[in-house]
Amino acid sequence: MSAVAFKSAVDDAVVEELRAILGDGDRVLPNVSSRVNRTRVPAPFPVHRWGEHMPDVAVLPKTAQEVSDVVKLANRLKIPVVPRAGGTGLSDGAVPMRGRGGILVDVKLMNQIHEIDLVDRTVTVGPGINMLKLNEALRPHGVFYPDDPASYPCSLVGGRIGTGGWSLLGSRFGHTRDLVISMEVVLPTGEIVEIAEGGGRKLRKSSTGLTLKHLFTGHQGTLGICTEATLELVPRPETEFAAFFAFEDYLTAHRTTGRLTKSGLATLAGVVLFDEWKLRYLRRDDEAYIPQPESVRAVIAVAMYGRRAEVEPASKIVMELGRADGGRYLGDEISQGDWASRHDRYATPLHGRTQDGQVVPMSWHCEDAALNYSVLPQVREEWHAIVDRYIREYGIFDDWGMFAYTNGAYKPWADYLVEIDVGIWEQKLDETSWDAWVRCKREISEVSLKYGGSMTACHGATREGDAELVPTEMGSSWEVVKRIKRALDPNNVMNPGKQSMDEAYE
Amino acid sequence: MTDPASNGEQREFVERWRDNAYGCFSSGHKFCREVCPVMQVTRNENHTPTAFHANIVAMEKGLVDVADVADDYVHCTQCGACELRCPNSLFTGDFYRHRTQTVKVVKAMRALMVETGNEREGWKLWNERLAAHHNEPVLGEIDVSQEHVADWAEGLDIPVGGETILFVDCEAAFYRTSYTRAFAQLLQRAGVQFGLMREQWCCGGPAAEMGYVDLARRHAEHNVADWRAVGAKRIIAPDPHDFIAFTEDYPAYFGDDGAHARFEFEIVLGVELVAELVRDGKIALTEPVERTVTYHDPCRLNKRKGVHEAPRELLRAIPGLEFKDVDRVTQWSYCSGGGGGLPVEKPEITAEISRRRVQRAADLEVDALISACPWSERPLSEVGTLEVMDLFELLARSAGIEVGGHTSAEARA
Repeated sequence: MSAVAFKSAVDDAVVEELRAILGDGDRVLPNVSSRVNRTRVPAPFPVHRWGEHMPDVAVLPKTAQEVSDVVKLANRLKIPVVPRAGGTGLSDGAVPMRGRGGILVDVKLMNQIHEIDLVDRTVTVGPGINMLKLNEALRPHGVFYPDDPASYPCSLVGGRIGTGGWSLLGSRFGHTRDLVISMEVVLPTGEIVEIAEGGGRKLRKSSTGLTLKHLFTGHQGTLGICTEATLELVPRPETEFAAFFAFEDYLTAHRTTGRLTKSGLATLAGVVLFDEWKLRYLRRDDEAYIPQPESVRAVIAVAMYGRRAEVEPASKIVMELGRADGGRYLGDEISQGDWASRHDRYATPLHGRTQDGQVVPMSWHCEDAALNYSVLPQVREEWHAIVDRYIREYGIFDDWGMFAYTNGAYKPWADYLVEIDVGIWEQKLDETSWDAWVRCKREISEVSLKYGGSMTACHGATREGDAELVPTEMGSSWEVVKRIKRALDPNNVMNPGKQSMDEAYE
Repeated sequence: MTDPASNGEQREFVERWRDNAYGCFSSGHKFCREVCPVMQVTRNENHTPTAFHANIVAMEKGLVDVADVADDYVHCTQCGACELRCPNSLFTGDFYRHRTQTVKVVKAMRALMVETGNEREGWKLWNERLAAHHNEPVLGEIDVSQEHVADWAEGLDIPVGGETILFVDCEAAFYRTSYTRAFAQLLQRAGVQFGLMREQWCCGGPAAEMGYVDLARRHAEHNVADWRAVGAKRIIAPDPHDFIAFTEDYPAYFGDDGAHARFEFEIVLGVELVAELVRDGKIALTEPVERTVTYHDPCRLNKRKGVHEAPRELLRAIPGLEFKDVDRVTQWSYCSGGGGGLPVEKPEITAEISRRRVQRAADLEVDALISACPWSERPLSEVGTLEVMDLFELLARSAGIEVGGHTSAEARA
């Protein structure tokens, strides 16, 4: 193995140098509380070995130059750098790998809106801004930034770019990478570079040179730190339409999902398919679903956005397609209410149940495979069977059901972000049950790969259980990945160890 | 590190708050974060409700102790926005009768800080002064003492004692007396009978917010004894902070389960009383006020107590007034930064929170920001770019009352 930064070498001298770079002691945080609170994300966490995931120091830079100087220092001394924006991800991009420590670069203070350009339709922001806050500022101008994950009220633009985020409205407006026009990035060696399609910062399409933009969206913080991003401004939709349909069996709902997504309606923003485990889960405590009869075993949600002239006639077609094969419209209240609360209700710990029905606080694992339409029914059966085995054996897991969401930006017809939600009773975790969970997760991912899918549509394969399968999933292109990583990050300092990229240095 | 002797207190604290903390920790969604007025300024993950809960779990795991995390808990105005925005409360709250408690956690941690010798210097000094003078030190040149606690009422001819007692917040008794004079005269105009206390001490709420539990309780005991001595049945609290103390802290001190008698008093919120009097035609708003204003929802009314209708109803009842409203949910993320002892320990953060709040008002092209809480009015006024008035002051003007007294700006001069 070549000289790589596997173990941090942060000492007092490094902390002093960081203080000199940031020129402000308050933004260099070596204290234990600052480190403890930048060690985890909302995904189930091996809380029994919390201390092993702590960074050695956190810094809160305000400018690209500060980020650059911090990264140069780390690169010189071969200290791991972990970029963190919101820390709201559902994988481990924003936390140090076990036992590696390092300098955590927290970009939350870089939350300025630098420019709103209503003529060429862009907004340029720092990576620490939240989308809801950004949209509050954009609203008076009649435009919005439509990146709409479940974490819309709390996740930050920098993390969305780093992970390659997925949006609930992606089928209509695109996902994060489709909505980023260009960005400023600090490379692992510390240089500040402009990454665009080619030419200026506000062009949507170019063929000059190489298309680097996609390389710098969804790298999980392994190729650099975004310090500024120029984003798309979209006309604020005049109207929204949401409809929920109930079905007696999954396969009929699956067929109807196919019809809806292949309808050619351009205002279609998303179609979501709930399976019967999800319905069973919702019936535990959700007032909208408790009254639904047991015969309801699948639900489809459809949402459209656009001008009235487009959405109103299209909504009639959706209503026809939704009902054509036995679907029952769940009414305006559930349709509008459920869609409006899409960010808030997605998982709360009190939904958790042990096998004997006891309510216990559980943390939420959200699998996010990308799978083609044709394989959904088979994958669904295999995934539930895996989780069921672990539930019976360990007593700390719970199957919260599955959602399948349209996944292709502007192309809703063929592939899906497929989520199986697993409750995990974190308080009970120990080394044995955590290892069991990692195995469970790996088995789920192996099913995705077996059916030609990808194990992650948006969270990133940075956790145990996924990370070790990255070379398998990448196949013949893995060699290319490793060459790029090594070329850009010769000392393996930028979020080292994530996605099995240490292999680039072997 | 904290003195090992305090391990017992720390263990007890963790035991009390661990389950509540796990509710947040295992959810971890951080929806509370962008509504938090302090976090919006510092952008420091340690100053978030999720950190306040995660620290407790980390304490249980032996990763941190109270000394390590004490500074985190200074960064809170106890506005309650995080509790409203918590997905646990929003979506399972009704079903499980669950509400994530964060304000109480902050208060309890601050109490633990006092207990274990991890006090903050500013709060310590403040509470020493409170213990000496029995009125909130109001932090400035104002002479705070029992001799002056009713100076604000000069010429208003308000008796002492009676069934209905007007409790006057220290800030409003010594600093922004125009607020209190306006309120008292509105009640007099409507013919409401009320008296003052024989000896009014601070409500004790701020001391409790800073963790000085025993001191807070001593003040509560004094005030309740004074109310009982004159046979009081109703306490009118115009100030939202006092209203919180009387409806949350006091019943806990004097509940049925302790050695003390039941907490028998009816607590009346000033703004709701005035709204009722206006509605019933007992206060006529006849003088047009030709101003363009917006309203600042005080956190302790809107977020802590769900009171947002009455102030708006009153503003709409003032003739000539153009009222540009911002809805109460949007205002969950607004604050003056004046609460929870923050201005004592972190005045620069309070100033920045207020600056941003006033800027949002200015963006609406109004010529005054109307609040309904004297605690907010000082930091908001100190921004200096927009006139800040209290709702009662505005109503008094529309009722044709010459208010008198002074606002904070004049008091400082």
